[in-house]
Amino acid sequence: MMSDKRLIVSALVLALVQIAFLSWIIAGRAAILRNGTEVLLKVEPVDPRDLLRGDYVYLSYDISRIPVRLIANIPADRKTSHDGPLVVRLKEEADGYWRPAAAWIDKAPEAAPPGEVDIAGHIFAGWNLGDDPEAMVSPDYGIERFYLPEGEGGAIERDIRVRPFGIRAAIAKDGTAQIKALVDGDKTLFEEPLY
Amino acid sequence: MAGYSTRVRQDIARWLDKGLIDAAIAERLARDVDENERRSLSFGAVLSMMAALLFAAAILIFVAANWEAIPRLGRVAGLFVLILGGYVGGALAKARGHGFIGEALWIVAVAAFGGAIALIGQMYHLAGSEASALVTWGAGTALAALLLRSGPLTVAAVGIADAWLVLSLTGSFDIFFRLIHVPSAFVGALLVLFGLSLWTRSQPARHLILLSLIFYGAALAVDRDAAGLSALMAAASAGVFALAVIAPEPVDRMVQVGGRLPLHALIGFLTAMAIIQIELVDGPGFAVAAPVTLAGIALAIVFGGRVSRGLRWLAYIGFAFELCLIYAVTMETMLGTAGFFLAAAVTLAILAFIIVRVEKHMKRPSAEGAAP
Repeated sequence: MMSDKRLIVSALVLALVQIAFLSWIIAGRAAILRNGTEVLLKVEPVDPRDLLRGDYVYLSYDISRIPVRLIANIPADRKTSHDGPLVVRLKEEADGYWRPAAAWIDKAPEAAPPGEVDIAGHIFAGWNLGDDPEAMVSPDYGIERFYLPEGEGGAIERDIRVRPFGIRAAIAKDGTAQIKALVDGDKTLFEEPLY
Repeated sequence: MAGYSTRVRQDIARWLDKGLIDAAIAERLARDVDENERRSLSFGAVLSMMAALLFAAAILIFVAANWEAIPRLGRVAGLFVLILGGYVGGALAKARGHGFIGEALWIVAVAAFGGAIALIGQMYHLAGSEASALVTWGAGTALAALLLRSGPLTVAAVGIADAWLVLSLTGSFDIFFRLIHVPSAFVGALLVLFGLSLWTRSQPARHLILLSLIFYGAALAVDRDAAGLSALMAAASAGVFALAVIAPEPVDRMVQVGGRLPLHALIGFLTAMAIIQIELVDGPGFAVAAPVTLAGIALAIVFGGRVSRGLRWLAYIGFAFELCLIYAVTMETMLGTAGFFLAAAVTLAILAFIIVRVEKHMKRPSAEGAAP
């Protein structure tokens, strides 16, 4: 039988380990918000029925669809995508939004030049990588949800269908993206504090 | 459950050593402690666990509500306090002999850990699937069970693993491919949890693990749409059953499920055979699968029915299901209401006849060997 003292020490260690783990995630996310490259991404209108699930809005970006022709390093024998990372290089355009300039499976050959930034995406297996010039893949970037206080989803759900919204995101050096703010034209609707 | 009863048992041993009491009294005292312990377990444990689960649900729903009145750092801090207070408070309660209260507080702490994961996901709009959040939560719960040697936390970890499996099955119906994602890592997780349950001495966790394994096998068999896989599952279940019946003691020493392994094996066998038969419903294979199922049920009763009433009743239920299935398959062309009622009546009559016969037969030779 475990002695009482050891049990209490175990419980204390356990609590501290779990709290440290959670704090570490928070610190990592806050670091991205603080230090990451800021980009503005256009949010596409989503099928309204699918827009609000529970307490979050489902966001689809214009970078959520990447033309296959932008992917520079598709192996010759690969007809469909494998499950794995897709790095997308974003470049700011005249309207202020950042859009894809190139993409690579697994990782980019070199670091992004100034004025551009690489965002880490993930694609599922089975996307057609064939010759069709119109072919698209749909990567996820881990920023496809926007949580809202209970009951505040309705207005955004309504407006997002009428005019395009934007997401200001921070992108860390390793490509991890983090939502910073939800913007409506020039107006910032929700700005995220660091913590 | 540790605490009071453990200490009394130590005391009894000491009194016996010192010659204060004789061996017979020592044994009677120990037995009395055991009995009372079990009684209090069924009442105090259930109530405190229910309270803990309600509290846990309250934490998780509170987080989900994303209430802005408390700044989110305040909510995080609150959850951290619950984690710390739950674990340490639970350990203190357990050290004072309040076993159930301790376990209940630990459940609350684990729920707070899960709530904190959800809250961080909400704070930073993490779109990673709920499945990966559940993996993190389950790992944290398993770690807690390991360090605190807690049975209820082991069960909770298995439950979270099951939730992960269910979510992976339902949450990833791809729009483009009929591709259900059956995470093979689930089996690995179950193995780890099984080892954990031996350490935490949690028999309920092991039962849940075996049932989860059967569920996983069924999901895999349905997903892959291959009769081979379900046949393999049926054969494996039959093999496990045979092992458990031939060498009950060594096998149960290994898996430690209170001698109920044949019951799990029969559940696995019936599940697999049901999948096979539903797949083969229109082909000639059904005429083979159905008799195999019936034979399996009969063999289960013959070899395992004597020692376990639970197994007998499971076999009866399987038998009833099988009769319905055979009837539906062979007679569906004239499935009028009257025909159906007639068949139901005949089925029940056959079932009643067989159950009465078997139960009488089982009771006659050895009444004392009957396990629950």
